[in-house]
Amino acid sequence: MEEEKAVIRTENLNLYYGEKHALIDIEISIHPNKVTALIGPSGCGKSTLIRCFNRMNDLVNDCRIEGKVIFNEEDIYDVDLDPVLLRKRIGMVFQRPNPFPKSIYENVAYGPRVHGIRDRAVLDEIVEKSLKLAALWDEVSDRLHDSAMGLSGGQQQRLCIARSLAVEPDVILMDEPCSALDPIATAKIEKLIGELKERYTVIIVTHSMQQAARVSDYTGFMYIGKLIEFGKTPQIFESPAEELTNNYITGRFG
Amino acid sequence: MTKTGFFSKQSESASGIISRQKGRITDSIIGAVWFFTAVFAVFTVLFILVFLLRDGLPVFSEIRPADFLFGEVWNPGGAEPSYGILPLITGTLLVTIGAMVIATPLGIGSAIFISELAGPRLKAFVKPAFEMLAGIPSVVYGFFGLIVLTNQLRIRLDVPSGESWLAGSILLGIMALPTIISVSEDAISAVPREFREGSLALGATRWQTISQVLVPSALSGITAALILGMGRAIGETMAVMMVTGNAAVIPEPIYNVLSPVRTLTGTLGIEMGEVATGSTHYHALFGLAVALLVITLIINLSAMAVIQRLKGEKRSSFRISERYRDYIIKGLYGVVFLLLFLATDIITALAVLLLAAAAIYIRRHLSPGVLQKGAFGLIWASAGMVLLSLAVILYDIIIHGYPALTPEFLTSSPSGLGREGGIFPAIIGTLYLVAGSILFALPIGMGAAIYLREYTRENTATRIIRTGVDLLGGTPSIVFGLFGFAFLVLYLNLGVSMLAGQITLGLMILPIIIRTTEESLKNVPDSMREGSLALGATRWQTVRNVVLPPALPGIITGAILSIGRAAGETAPILFTAVVFSRRFLPDSVFEPVTALPYHLFILSTNVPGSETNQYGTALVLLILVASIYLAAVILRSHFQKKAAW
Repeated sequence: MEEEKAVIRTENLNLYYGEKHALIDIEISIHPNKVTALIGPSGCGKSTLIRCFNRMNDLVNDCRIEGKVIFNEEDIYDVDLDPVLLRKRIGMVFQRPNPFPKSIYENVAYGPRVHGIRDRAVLDEIVEKSLKLAALWDEVSDRLHDSAMGLSGGQQQRLCIARSLAVEPDVILMDEPCSALDPIATAKIEKLIGELKERYTVIIVTHSMQQAARVSDYTGFMYIGKLIEFGKTPQIFESPAEELTNNYITGRFG
Repeated sequence: MTKTGFFSKQSESASGIISRQKGRITDSIIGAVWFFTAVFAVFTVLFILVFLLRDGLPVFSEIRPADFLFGEVWNPGGAEPSYGILPLITGTLLVTIGAMVIATPLGIGSAIFISELAGPRLKAFVKPAFEMLAGIPSVVYGFFGLIVLTNQLRIRLDVPSGESWLAGSILLGIMALPTIISVSEDAISAVPREFREGSLALGATRWQTISQVLVPSALSGITAALILGMGRAIGETMAVMMVTGNAAVIPEPIYNVLSPVRTLTGTLGIEMGEVATGSTHYHALFGLAVALLVITLIINLSAMAVIQRLKGEKRSSFRISERYRDYIIKGLYGVVFLLLFLATDIITALAVLLLAAAAIYIRRHLSPGVLQKGAFGLIWASAGMVLLSLAVILYDIIIHGYPALTPEFLTSSPSGLGREGGIFPAIIGTLYLVAGSILFALPIGMGAAIYLREYTRENTATRIIRTGVDLLGGTPSIVFGLFGFAFLVLYLNLGVSMLAGQITLGLMILPIIIRTTEESLKNVPDSMREGSLALGATRWQTVRNVVLPPALPGIITGAILSIGRAAGETAPILFTAVVFSRRFLPDSVFEPVTALPYHLFILSTNVPGSETNQYGTALVLLILVASIYLAAVILRSHFQKKAAW
């Protein structure tokens, strides 16, 4: 394996919601500048897993985590580690587009601002660059100061991607980013994901196997809290090693 | 809200294949009954307005409107009576502004504390404690203010009397807190979780998330909370009347917080009982009540407008472009500084400016982590201060009231003007008044809510009815008292009687009952109604058998809450139902009664040397009202756990 090259790597990761054992002995290595997809039936723990990578599970009340998540040779669950700084380097795009009720400009500038950038010219530049990277600039450049709530669902989701790009993360986590979007908007996001991997590492949770096959380089199949199989995407879809994986991708359950 | 009024004409089967006329006729009769109950609330508002105007307008035949509104002397008892309400309006505004200065930071801080900082356990304790503040009757606040607060102010500030603008503002600030806290907390908690996560996922700290995403998103709700709290402060009578000194003067200089003031409500409370019916003074008081009603109407309507905007703002774009907003904010700072400079002197103004600059400097140069610690410290402190005020009030009344609580005190009649003896007639009188008011208001309120929710769709009529209900809810209790006096006592010739008091209190709690009933009906899912209708049940059968049973706990909770409200109120019964020092129980509803809040009011303002019995009465009233509220809270949480659709 190429362990030393991994951006994020878990060791014996277990997660409990109260009594419920939601993630069981997860061992996974995420490769830099690649798109990694996590697939599996509803409730299998794929969203829970990526929310471990930026410690969003900290916000859930009786959630307990054992084991390690290593990000660039640092254990992110180390007591000294500041989750705020971690989240600056590992961005996240959510299932439903969640722009703030501010203008388009302010949405993108929010991240840089909270990290201390105040110079208007610098902010202008970051906003433009991020919106261009998220392939949204052409559609909104003439109405940057309109409310983001007026954008279409697909535009809102690309705005959320631009917003996370604006803080210049190393990794972008995407939690079913297209589940609330129509096919055309989905196609745009998927194209964007392909472009993003040149600069970023992308981890995407998806419900759609076709989407995983289209956009990802690596795929992990999860089932009831366990990572059943992980490998290069073509290999997972063409010759899975596990019976369960095969059943799932051939549509026998899930 | 588009789903309101699930039933409509279209959903009725119009085919007439099966004629079941009997059921249909009953159904429309019942519907008509509910309609009339719903219209009742609107008519009440109109009636109140008409009767106030009827007795208030004649004042202008004797005094020029300009002299009335802008006259600087209010002295109806003088050799040359003068009826200028400017000092009273000024008093009301100053006390309210002071209350808001105190309540705004504490209220918003406490709301942020409950919704964002407190863990589940702490929240389970703190939230009911904050709600408890709303359960303390206003006369008990006034009593505490009179005995403890004004005294402390007098000693600590070394002034001749503590009865002042400041005392009124502190007390009203505390009284406005529960409204501000609960409405702003709802608004902050209602900000979608996605916003929170979205901000945190970008590496913002919790404080950055709160201050830059949550609070701005909840701003309309918080504004509404502040306006409602302000309405509460403006409409309050008893507490304010007991601690502000009631001198009808404009403070000199205007920011002298230790000056006594007199409010519109206080004037009504003091003078209405002694005025000769039909005199100029009498009409002037009604004119004053109209002024008060107009002020509260404006406040309530603007709160409603803000809330309305809140509902519709999801898709609307920004009114003011953010670029201009920067300039506007800077301009506002300039104006504030200028005002400060004009009102005080150059030294103070410069000092404030320096402080502001320092604050901005600190904000820019401290790390987000340190800033968060400071902000969270302040939020904890504000929640702590609110809890502390509650604790001090409760402690004082329990410690001093407990010795008075003997079996004789509870079961005997007062003697020696209430200095000796007990409060039995007052307890029974309160129970009679409350029972009568709920018997009057519950059927009407439930009917109105059932009509609004089950028998119609949202249209102009329901909007008018809802507005009427909301306005009724925001009407100051003293205005109800005046209306009861003018309409029930004089016009209907009921005299000062238990019945007049019961109806007046009933009108006052009507909006609470309508609102809580509607809320519980709303929580019953439409699928249940559809299930029943699909079986061929009529509307009324569906409402009675399917909708009402699961909604009942919520309705009962609302009824209990309004019982608590009615039990603690003084102003509405002041001129309609009560007489002091009544030793016997009434034989019929046409006789006057005495009641706990009124008894406490008279003892503490007019009967020196009755301290023990004052505290005893306050404690009994507090226990009565608090246990009613407690019952409602327990019932609510019990059924909230059970209700899982």
